[in-house]
Amino acid sequence: MAVEMKEQQTNNEPPCTSNSLSNYLWDDHPDEEKWADCVHCGMCLESCPTYLETGQEQHSPRGRVHLIKSVAEGKLEVNEHFMDPVFQCLDCRACTTACPADVDVGGLIEEARGQIRQAMPLKGWKGVVSRLFLKDLFPHKNRLNGVGGILKFYQKSGLQKAVRKSGALKVMPKHLVEMESIMPPIQQSVQKKYKDVDVIPASSKPKARVAMLTGCIMDVMFADINQSTINVLTYNGNEVVLPKNQTCCGALHVHAGDRGTGKKLAKQNIEAFRDAEKVIVNAAGCGCALKEYPELFRNDPEWKEKAEEFTKKVEDISKYLYDTGYEKPHSKLNKRITYHDACHLAHGQGIRHEPRKLLNDINGVEYVEQPNADMCCGSAGIYNITNPEMAGAVLERKMENVPRDVEMISMGNPGCMLQMAIGVQKYGRRAEIVHTVQLLDWAYQQDQKNGLGTSDDKQTIAAREG
Amino acid sequence: MFFTKKKKTPRDPTIEHLADIVGKKSILYKKEDLLSYDCDGFTIHKAIPKAVVFPKDTAEVAAVVKYCSAHKMPFLARGAGTGLSGGAIPLNGEVIISLVKMKNLLSVDFENRQAVVQPGFVNLKLTNSIADKGYYYAPDPSSQYVCTIGGNVAENAGGAHCLKYGVTTNHILGLEVVLPDGEIIEISENGLPDAPGYDLLGLLTGSEGTLGIVTKITVRILKNPEGKQTVLAYFDDVENGSQAVSDIISAGIVPAALEMMDKTAIEGVEAGTYPVGHPDDIEALLLIEVDGIITGIAEQIEEIMNVCRRWNVREVKVAESEEERGRWWANRKTGFGAMGAISPDYLVQDGVIPRSKLPEVLRNIRKISEESELRIANIFHAGDGNLHPLILFDSRKPGETEKALKAGSDCLKACADVGGSITGEHGVGIEKIEEMRFIFTEEELEAQTNVRDVFNPDGLLNSGKLFPTPSRCMDVKKVM
Ligand SMILES: Cc1cc2nc3c(=O)[nH]c(=O)nc-3n(C[C@H](O)[C@H](O)[C@H](O)COP(=O)(O)OP(=O)(O)OC[C@H]3O[C@@H](n4cnc5c(N)ncnc54)[C@H](O)[C@@H]3O)c2cc1C
Ligand code: SF4
Ligand code: SF4
Repeated sequence: MAVEMKEQQTNNEPPCTSNSLSNYLWDDHPDEEKWADCVHCGMCLESCPTYLETGQEQHSPRGRVHLIKSVAEGKLEVNEHFMDPVFQCLDCRACTTACPADVDVGGLIEEARGQIRQAMPLKGWKGVVSRLFLKDLFPHKNRLNGVGGILKFYQKSGLQKAVRKSGALKVMPKHLVEMESIMPPIQQSVQKKYKDVDVIPASSKPKARVAMLTGCIMDVMFADINQSTINVLTYNGNEVVLPKNQTCCGALHVHAGDRGTGKKLAKQNIEAFRDAEKVIVNAAGCGCALKEYPELFRNDPEWKEKAEEFTKKVEDISKYLYDTGYEKPHSKLNKRITYHDACHLAHGQGIRHEPRKLLNDINGVEYVEQPNADMCCGSAGIYNITNPEMAGAVLERKMENVPRDVEMISMGNPGCMLQMAIGVQKYGRRAEIVHTVQLLDWAYQQDQKNGLGTSDDKQTIAAREG
Repeated sequence: MFFTKKKKTPRDPTIEHLADIVGKKSILYKKEDLLSYDCDGFTIHKAIPKAVVFPKDTAEVAAVVKYCSAHKMPFLARGAGTGLSGGAIPLNGEVIISLVKMKNLLSVDFENRQAVVQPGFVNLKLTNSIADKGYYYAPDPSSQYVCTIGGNVAENAGGAHCLKYGVTTNHILGLEVVLPDGEIIEISENGLPDAPGYDLLGLLTGSEGTLGIVTKITVRILKNPEGKQTVLAYFDDVENGSQAVSDIISAGIVPAALEMMDKTAIEGVEAGTYPVGHPDDIEALLLIEVDGIITGIAEQIEEIMNVCRRWNVREVKVAESEEERGRWWANRKTGFGAMGAISPDYLVQDGVIPRSKLPEVLRNIRKISEESELRIANIFHAGDGNLHPLILFDSRKPGETEKALKAGSDCLKACADVGGSITGEHGVGIEKIEEMRFIFTEEELEAQTNVRDVFNPDGLLNSGKLFPTPSRCMDVKKVM
């Protein structure tokens, strides 16, 4: 791994004075240019789930920007009271869509979290959880696979059933119980499955070669979605490579204020995908993080340039299919389906129309648009673990908008899938939670089974012009 | 609520008392939490409140007010805090009574075309809630996505479509108000218009939160017009654009909206989140909307297009779809905020002038811009002569804030000098308190403060706003 480590900062060292800004004592502090864009107009207020929930300015985008600026102006210190609003933010980016001045609230929040985490490292159980997930697990594929194995064992062995029956779950905090009950069945990781394959061949006439981010948690808990993504790509004439030394995207680290690890992971990924022309991502949160690597290196011209080159290659699966063309499946999926916009697709990457088009291209889909489809579900990375109350309140609001009679809720982000599964269970709904590519994959498989559809099929959806 | 740590019981007896009224979770009193309330949409003055309380009903509002009044503690109401003249800034360390938790639509009576809302109900939500029945709420300030109807009443808010349908005051049928001593009164309880006696509704609406706190509002709702069409016209010359505005109105057409933007404003909206693709070399654009019975619309549109052509329009077109129309409006309505994309700070002014003076005043504003060396964008309701010069500045540069304030004041002077007024819809607040003297004599001001004193004798409710008092205004100006 030829990655330089000079970016890494150690916690709690005496602050680097040359690069501090008033009460921000560490390097890489919130960017003045970003808050200078904010004119305090308040047009973002009603888009913000935490403001809607609390009605309090400091829990609104405008308030958060104001506080972040106040620290720089020396009016406020980096302390607990500053931390609360900054960490209650879901990082959902709804404010980015609403803000007329294009203020990068998300970027500011992440930078501020970086300062907070250095000034006040996490203690107590939150520190343990966060260290466990962020430092000890996500960056390490092998360990994750190990966890996957444990989870698989837990589910398959009947232990899960036993634990549920025995009532052992009662001692876990409520939100962890909820999480446990919706853990997806674990499949084989695609990284493992294809470990001896350099290029997964296209199943129709090859037209392009793409690399795919398999993700950390994605490839362990959601291996089937990775598999579906590969199937859909190869079905549509894409050869797929899974670069071996790719790693976790770092989104959760950056969201949690651990920008050091975030940068390290970013560098590793930039290197890992150096030879790729396209990097396909099926998790909105990861895609958004990859696209934001340049922001992470804003003070490092060399890596910033590399990051910018890298970012151009990153594409969400739904947009890639939409842009390059895909075959319209023949088989009928007779289901009533609604679509939930993952924040990091809709607000983070501006992708709204493409996945809906994919869904509507599947025969028999009765599509139902839900009101406020782009409102956060409360998942937000590990937010539902660290801020369960707010996450629960946000989820409740979300579920109120999900039509009662749908049979499936489709989306493009695994974090949302878990959270929405909790929602379905908690509010007694029956809808299945699916990733959009899974449905397309299902339809293609039906086609193949029934001898329908070939690569030179007349029904191919043309690549979008331009 | 959502605090990870248990809140310590506050020691300050005032805080303890207020917390007893609204509940511990509905009060903010720590410095860090209060900092977010140090200003509203007007950011030039800042002050920290004593506390912020979030009452959930009228009784709690009244109890808080009674407490403050009994203890001679200044207080004020706050909605979404989008006010542009500083009306919600706690200049005297007020207790802020935030009405955002009182945000319900209480009832809708389609038969009598009225709705009852709580003060924290967001303007656009009303239209959204009744749109499926074919109704809407007419006053549409550009901030309607977030601002509260309570705040609209206080500021007598206007909007693009107020040219034809009138501003907030024309749509208010009844109010419940908590007076500064805590008494709860109902004005025009059943929403019947034109009750005998003094027009208290008219007095309260636009009083900028200085006479009482509005806790319930009965508003008029309207049936959607049968049809509407929208025209966009690009001009190479501001005067031609202004002349077209004059001619459209004198042709007897009453557009639902008639908006104008100049070159700097266009640069801003195009750099913002909702660009339309306006050419970057035009000097002015008009956005004109006609609505009503379908049969008349085409004719009016034709006439509007002809007027524009007569004034050398470069390009004039009709929106071809609802989607296109929506994009044009989003571009216009997010116009103020979009200035953030081309300038770190802005100051919005809000003058009103006779329409015929438009070219002259715009010329003068350009002169002010040159003299102050600050860019001024104009984005405004041309149809009713309501100008919004946006003075672009950078508060980080020493002296620039003062320069901006001076330029803003000069713009208002330019309006007053041609027989106009210093505010159309954003209110006086703190911002234009001195400029009140441009249009009122000392006696006229005193007559008005006498009215205020009847309601608000101790001056505890939102004092230091709206009217200059000889000593106070000097203090205020020095705060900067
Ligand atoms: C981007 C932008 C665009 C705007 N466009 C327009 C526009 O087109 N037209 C227009 O008219 N205005 C416009 N405004 C100004 C502002 O949105 C309006 O004045 C609005 O009515 C303020 O509502 P609010 O809920 O934000 O009130 P706040 O800002 O919270 O309060 C404004 C004043 O009202 C008082 N107040 C609030 N609630 C109550 C209550 N319940 N009882 C008594 N007093 C109360 C406050 O004390 C304060 O003095 C714009 C503002 C922004 C930021
Ligand atoms: S973040 Fe954007 S929308 Fe929110 S107050 Fe600032 S400029 Fe306005
Ligand atoms: S990212 Fe989401 S939660 Fe955070 S300030 Fe923006 S809208 Fe609010």
